[in-house]
Amino acid sequence: MNDAVAITLVGVFGITGSLLMLFSAIAMFRVRDALSRINVFSPATGLGMPLIVAAAYVYDLHAEGFSWGSLLMAVVAVLCLIIVSSVGSNTLSRASVLSGQPVYRKTVPNRLASPPAGAVDEDPDAPKEPEEPTGRS
Amino acid sequence: MIIVVSICSIILAAAVIVGLVRVLTAKDLGSRAVISDLMYFSAIGMLTMFGITVSSSIVLDAIFLSSMVGILATIALSRILTRGLR
Repeated sequence: MNDAVAITLVGVFGITGSLLMLFSAIAMFRVRDALSRINVFSPATGLGMPLIVAAAYVYDLHAEGFSWGSLLMAVVAVLCLIIVSSVGSNTLSRASVLSGQPVYRKTVPNRLASPPAGAVDEDPDAPKEPEEPTGRS
Repeated sequence: MIIVVSICSIILAAAVIVGLVRVLTAKDLGSRAVISDLMYFSAIGMLTMFGITVSSSIVLDAIFLSSMVGILATIALSRILTRGLR
């Protein structure tokens, strides 16, 4: 791989990934609540960071030549970023709902705040009514 | 290579600065947790670009390890949000 190809690939991957991170940061201003912010945060970790890993791998390929260790490390890093950040986003959104962070008032229908009409929403863990005392002594 | 990597670093630094401004102006704690996560990943990107600049050979190792332990910060923040409850 000659210099021009390496620089072009690093540039395309790196600048696209960095721009995705920047656009994600700007999008944090345009949405109004924590759940939507978690939603617009996914492009940064799902596509931006893997592109930056690709840029780093192309640089490694250019500087030190091909090796299976580097390839394995890059593939595992991409898989980790996708899987781990999905699990992390899920945990964070669950925590933000459970801790009562405000939801934007124009979010309708908000099924998290009020169940849809006709839904059976009984709490299986609710304490049962005390039974009538029978004639047991 | 230097020019390309500098452009990437500048864009990522801009992302961190925008995130900092948003953390200062955010009202609720959940938004702050999300934005600090975004800043963490931007910092990993800046570390990678710095490694490419100085021709380091551990660029992939650094990004590999930091992508694996990145979930710890997120889970710690979510546990803090719920006051330790799951």
